[in-house]
Amino acid sequence: MNKTEIVLEGRNITKQYKTKGRKIQSLSDVNFALHRGEILGVVGESGSGKSTLLKMITGMERMDAGDLYHEGTSYTNSHPGKTGKFLQMIFQDAYGSFDPRRTMKQSLLEIQHTSMQDVLDMIEKVGLTPDLLERKPRQLSGGQCQRMSIARALLSHVDILLCDEITSALDVSTQAQVVTLLSDLRKKEGLSIIFVSHDLALVGNLCDRIMVLKDGTCVEDGKTEDVIWHPKDAYTKLLLSNAITITE
Amino acid sequence: MKEQKHIKRRFILSAVVAVILILIAIFSHQLAPHDPYQTNAALIRKAPSMEYLFGTDNLGRCVFSRVLYGAKTTIFATFFLVAISFVIGTIAGMICGYYGGIADNILMRLADLMLAFPQMVVAIAVAGILGGGLMGAMIALGITMWTSFARLARSHTLSIKKAPYITASKLAGKGGAYILCVHVLPNILEPVLISALTQIGTTMIGISGLSFLGLGVVAPEAEWGSMISEARAYIQIAPWAVLYPAAATIITIVVFNYLGDAMMEYRNRH
Repeated sequence: MNKTEIVLEGRNITKQYKTKGRKIQSLSDVNFALHRGEILGVVGESGSGKSTLLKMITGMERMDAGDLYHEGTSYTNSHPGKTGKFLQMIFQDAYGSFDPRRTMKQSLLEIQHTSMQDVLDMIEKVGLTPDLLERKPRQLSGGQCQRMSIARALLSHVDILLCDEITSALDVSTQAQVVTLLSDLRKKEGLSIIFVSHDLALVGNLCDRIMVLKDGTCVEDGKTEDVIWHPKDAYTKLLLSNAITITE
Repeated sequence: MKEQKHIKRRFILSAVVAVILILIAIFSHQLAPHDPYQTNAALIRKAPSMEYLFGTDNLGRCVFSRVLYGAKTTIFATFFLVAISFVIGTIAGMICGYYGGIADNILMRLADLMLAFPQMVVAIAVAGILGGGLMGAMIALGITMWTSFARLARSHTLSIKKAPYITASKLAGKGGAYILCVHVLPNILEPVLISALTQIGTTMIGISGLSFLGLGVVAPEAEWGSMISEARAYIQIAPWAVLYPAAATIITIVVFNYLGDAMMEYRNRH
């Protein structure tokens, strides 16, 4: 496996929304590169464009400008049915990511070319028991539901995971379990992950590189230790000082 | 807790009465003591008695038998119309809400146009053009009725189309038809179905109203609205010929409205 190989790349991604006659610049010339087997952390305050970036990457929304590449091949503005073949997303709202009327088994078997045996194997891999498959989302704990989301994402045999604030609705101990699971899966399955969060401490522990977004612009991008210990941008410094203040 | 029990009791009671009414409509042929179309000059405008429970009309026909036969016409025509409007409206609303675009704009403006006029006025005009008959009346009412289901289905579809589980399904490679049938429809069905239930009373008034005006069911077919229309000419000498079909209409409308309200209240609390 070539660790330096870029699996996912975005160039000059730009997105503008129009709300009540006002134009809001959600993303402005954002560039990123995700290397194979790497976890790229995307941090920034609410409204900085983190989730919008993921929507562009998945093809859920069209970009105004820019290009996206998967293993060097352009897939700009492809629909989710196409992007879903090489990437999957794990959502902040674990409960909301499953149809409330369907059991976990039904939801997991929705993935194309998935057999019951595949589901059982994956459930074991994410540390859950088969009896949970008969339950509906609300009959699971937040952590169990998020593990189910991870299982569903991995059933698609993709090598890229997009995690949109996946730990923000979980308690601290469950957060640690989910993050450990992701870290283990990354090693075992060779996954490349974009991890969106506003928890700098968590991102600092988990990610190889960090990208800092502010008002839709990338203000800093680099190796985790460089960004955490030697931040260049004033906004990154501010984010870090806030995080440190809270930790202290 | 006490209120919940009360709502549940209301729901069960109205559901039981509604089922009884439907059973009466289904078995009206077996339950009717006389032929509802058999005229008899010797029995004209006979007051209610043990033999003719609701009396007879101007042609000596048994009003009780005609009310029972009328139940079948009125209730099933209503159910059929509501069901068709529900199906068309729900499918149109889901497609418009999910895909949006030009089709959504055209269909929704058409719905706005339909809703801009009082339903009965449009129905009278359309039924007048189509001529009499039950089918004409149903088409006349159906032209405007689907729009309310379409608007409701559309708004519920809009509220869930960006839900994470829909996104997850798209990323799993599922197409629009699959998502609409497997995820959207089951999740919006309940509120639209309750709305359909509350429409039964209004539709029944519409069908009976058009028949009353001579634009719906035509004589000698037994239908509550046309029975009232026929008998109003001699209401002073034989009020029972108007009273019983009118009472049947009111009771049925009240029961189905009550059932719809009880279901809505039950749903809102759960």
